[in-house]
Amino acid sequence: MNAAKAVRRCLLVLGAVAAAQGAPRPAEAQEIQVTGPLAGAPAVRRLRQHRKGRVEIAPNASFTLLDEYQRTILFGARLNYNLADWLALGVWGAHGTIKTTTSLADQIQEVNDRRFSDDPNVNPDAGTGANNTDRRLTAPNVGRDFKEQLGAINWVIAPQATFVPFRGKLSLFEKIFVDTDVYFFVGPAFIGLSERENCGLGTSVDCAARAVDPATGALGAPLTKGTTSRVAVAPTGGIGLSLYTGPFTAVGIEYRALPFAWNTGGFDTRGGPPGEDFPDGKVDDKDRQFKFTQMITLSVSFYLPAKPKLSE
Amino acid sequence: MKQARVGLLVATALLAWPLGAQAQQRGRPKKRPKAEAPAAEPAAEPTAAPPPEGAAGAQAPGAAAEPAPAAPAAPEPPPEEAKGICEENPELCPQIDLNRAAAREVPAPMYAVQQIYALRARRFEINPYWSFTLNDQFVSHNGPGLSLNYYLTNVFAVGANFNFYSGLNQPSEFNAQTRRAARVAVPLTEFNWSAGLNFTYVPVYGKFAGFSDFIFHYDLYVVGGVGMLSNRPIAVIDPDNRTFDSKTRLTIANPGLGLRIFFNRWFAATMEVRDYIFLDELENTELQNTTEEATNRDNWYGETKLTNHVQAQLGVSIFFPFSWHYQKPK
Repeated sequence: MNAAKAVRRCLLVLGAVAAAQGAPRPAEAQEIQVTGPLAGAPAVRRLRQHRKGRVEIAPNASFTLLDEYQRTILFGARLNYNLADWLALGVWGAHGTIKTTTSLADQIQEVNDRRFSDDPNVNPDAGTGANNTDRRLTAPNVGRDFKEQLGAINWVIAPQATFVPFRGKLSLFEKIFVDTDVYFFVGPAFIGLSERENCGLGTSVDCAARAVDPATGALGAPLTKGTTSRVAVAPTGGIGLSLYTGPFTAVGIEYRALPFAWNTGGFDTRGGPPGEDFPDGKVDDKDRQFKFTQMITLSVSFYLPAKPKLSE
Repeated sequence: MKQARVGLLVATALLAWPLGAQAQQRGRPKKRPKAEAPAAEPAAEPTAAPPPEGAAGAQAPGAAAEPAPAAPAAPEPPPEEAKGICEENPELCPQIDLNRAAAREVPAPMYAVQQIYALRARRFEINPYWSFTLNDQFVSHNGPGLSLNYYLTNVFAVGANFNFYSGLNQPSEFNAQTRRAARVAVPLTEFNWSAGLNFTYVPVYGKFAGFSDFIFHYDLYVVGGVGMLSNRPIAVIDPDNRTFDSKTRLTIANPGLGLRIFFNRWFAATMEVRDYIFLDELENTELQNTTEEATNRDNWYGETKLTNHVQAQLGVSIFFPFSWHYQKPK
């Protein structure tokens, strides 16, 4: 009887193990190999081709990032012709419409105003005259109106090729479904700049020119530094995301890098020994420093013709 | 003893049962011939397994959800392999033209996003990353970090993260140039570490077809929480007299936005932008007149300023456990 009991117990355990074996298991990342009629088929069928054979007009606003002295908001537009759903050729153009100073530029302006004030309540060094150390040393670099000497992006024109390797869709709150694509663009950029004009040795402009009191002949605050325009050529590129809100409309966001050398503060920072890493008493192209100028662009796109094609 | 025999039989049957699931053929997929599907395909092949996401017939990114009419399938002579069963029982003989069936368009119900590829509910996420400063042009605070999350539901997670900055702070050359040119010094701060408790919400998920060839899934999430940040001013106004100790600050809200791209169901790349918000005590920009005043610590700190430390975090995510069950077929 005991033997039968033992056998029953063994069978019970065996049964339990077997049941556990038979219980459903996780899929464990099983890869389903398509070997049937779907093998080799395209990843997407009947794809809405929002780009292929269409012209894109995209008004946009661009906001510069990580600016040292001045931020710029550029308004413009992108014009593209999409040769295929993955390739477009076009141009982006924008105008630097709004320029605002950073807190650092405001602080420099405030300190400079105080430094040249004749009011002893504002400037403890008032009355020390032209030989005051701060006045003397900063006069070549900071003008009466600091904002006027800052480097500024006035306009940009960039012919560019756009590649669209990724096409997809997203679900927002599991309610709204939107077609999307991710694109990369690259091309040359022509940048219209304002920069402080050359001054110092070899030029006719005195970097440290200051106002003179006609009555007493005393030196006052430094004159506002003049600027000049030039066109810089630089590579540009970036990445963007389009969200197709309708058959012929989309909204987008893109990141753009615009690396080139320019003098953002209008300072004399380089050109002198050793190794041209110190001021040389003049403002010229040696004072331009390489900046990885970057911006975020928000756009609304319109596509023509209005109806997209469908793929096979 | 009769019961024992029956029990043994049941146990054997139960053991053999799961083995049936391992009959799936492995190997690389064959290229579909231009004209039609291979004629020698086993009869059971078209119904053997559902197509993977992204394959034709499954939901496709951006695909128009217009069902196409199915081609009529006319009876054809049975293929060679099926002759046996046709002779045995003509009623079971296959009446499907495999070639036409393979070529037809399936008017299956289309879901915008079927069966979320990477479920997050009740899974842990380990997210090591490297952070880059986005909004401090004076000192960059780049460094490694680690985030741990537990997803209570598919869209909501609680977790914690830690950032390490000590020894990695990098003052910009531009600070010295501005000091030299304008004789204006900007108070600088270096970070040691930060840690936080986070809530994560995933409102957006989707997928992309890459080069019209492969499909990858992604989601967008928002994150926020509270935490602590240890930092101290770098003495630039009066470095001869001032040496600052580190202090721990409370960080609040800490909003962030992230993108996660899944390479498979448990491994993803992440990109996150995070704003750590705290009240920072900056170095006093005024110099004291006497040595006694200059060495008095009470005079070292100046303005207290609300500071936003915005950083980009690039990393990878690993989800545990690696696998799960779908409750529904779609």
